[in-house]
Amino acid sequence: MDRFVTLLMGFLSVVLVNNFVFTKFLGACPYLGVSGRIGKALGMGLAVTFVTALSGTLTWMVDAWILTPLHLEITRYICYIVIIAGAVQLVEMYVRKFFPSLYEAFGVYLPLIATNCVILGLCLFLDIWGTDNLLEAVVLSTGTGIGFTVAICIMAAIREELALADVPEALQGVPITLITAGLLTLAFMGFAGMIK
Amino acid sequence: MTPAIYDSSFMIYDLAATSVSLLPNHQSSFILHQLWGSAWPAGVTMLGLALAFAIVLLIARTRLKVEVDPRVEQVAGLLPQAGCGACGFAGCNQYAQAVLNDMQLIGKCTPGGADVAGKIAGVLNVQIDNSGPPVRPVVLCRAHTADRTYYAAYRGIQSCTAANALAGAQACKFGCLGFGDCVRACKFNALRVVDGLATVNYRKCTGCAACSKACPRNLIVMVPFHQDPMMTVACSSRENGKTTRAMCQVGCIGCGLCAKQSDAFKAEDNLARLDYARYEPSGQNETACNKCPTGAIVYRGKSAPAPRPPKARQAVS
Repeated sequence: MDRFVTLLMGFLSVVLVNNFVFTKFLGACPYLGVSGRIGKALGMGLAVTFVTALSGTLTWMVDAWILTPLHLEITRYICYIVIIAGAVQLVEMYVRKFFPSLYEAFGVYLPLIATNCVILGLCLFLDIWGTDNLLEAVVLSTGTGIGFTVAICIMAAIREELALADVPEALQGVPITLITAGLLTLAFMGFAGMIK
Repeated sequence: MTPAIYDSSFMIYDLAATSVSLLPNHQSSFILHQLWGSAWPAGVTMLGLALAFAIVLLIARTRLKVEVDPRVEQVAGLLPQAGCGACGFAGCNQYAQAVLNDMQLIGKCTPGGADVAGKIAGVLNVQIDNSGPPVRPVVLCRAHTADRTYYAAYRGIQSCTAANALAGAQACKFGCLGFGDCVRACKFNALRVVDGLATVNYRKCTGCAACSKACPRNLIVMVPFHQDPMMTVACSSRENGKTTRAMCQVGCIGCGLCAKQSDAFKAEDNLARLDYARYEPSGQNETACNKCPTGAIVYRGKSAPAPRPPKARQAVS
């Protein structure tokens, strides 16, 4: 029971309190680039969730079972990058096979998940947080992806409404998007301190 | 946690010591061995990881393979990739996909023209009939701002569609409004509004007909240019001659003088029309053009001469 509560708290923490997009400002490029339409944003979020879950878990396993025993922590970055690139390739093939329209809609953003800093950030943070069992790593990795999905979907929903709003001419387009992003971050600051 | 660097350097020393004890103890090879001793575990791990992923991706590739007709890419490569939508599909790639399934669609890419159609036919291994003149848009109005009459100044949304919804944006209900909806529709930068009149640059035009669809007054018609320059009656006014005269200095008044000169012309509903299929550069047509009292008959095309200025302005200058 105690363990379950820890996992749940960890999950809520990465989704809301320590959301990567809002508190660490990682993954800002797809957050601003693919948040025009809510359907596309959700697809992007799910693809990123899949990649974070897969690569977070895999990197934790590689780190805990291969790199640490061999004292090869120095090669972490390069190993992680190989794993993430592989995972993204896998997702790309999967999406292309089963969701061709989504594949067309993503265009260049799908392979660009490989360079999404949320993912490398997560893999490195898993070590900094001192994640010491596989289940925790899985939950935190999935949670991070879901946190990203939440962020990008909220942003897309606001931007869809903004398309109909009377925005002053000087603020149209990118400026209003950045202001929205800033306000959203402020709003999510409200969660700070809720979970240690 | 102990710093990682410290750990691995510790191991360097360790491994180097073992390898050195096995090999002849030369001072120069000592450093090399030290380097080798620290490098190989990292190298092997990386290679192992890379190999594992290569195998996984290889399996995934065979399992998740998408069967794409190689001809789709071939055809898409031939297309202009302008995304103009003249073919009726969302983009060039969608058209490439469609044309493979239905070869009746081969000639639909107007920007590519006969050239691209022929190449696509080559990919599909079919023969097509390439004869037939290129189709180009003709604006059926020749009035510039100075030639027109305005009852009031229009200050609304600066688009033809909006202005057309309002009565009285200009006196003539048929003429070009000059807000450039067609200019915005053109993907090839071939249209400009010159002194309130949409003007086609036939050197850039590909005949995709996007402008023709964009014009809310249906002023732009697609004409087979079997002659260049092509002659046309550049007016669409169906008002009677007196009203047209009052509204516009260069409008067709439907007098029928041109029809008397040449059989290719016909005047009905207060408006003369040229049968483009029957037009050829003959003396009769030339006379018809010159006899037109308002100068509504003009040449359009790459090498078109400038139209005759209206009578009123001639008198002034």
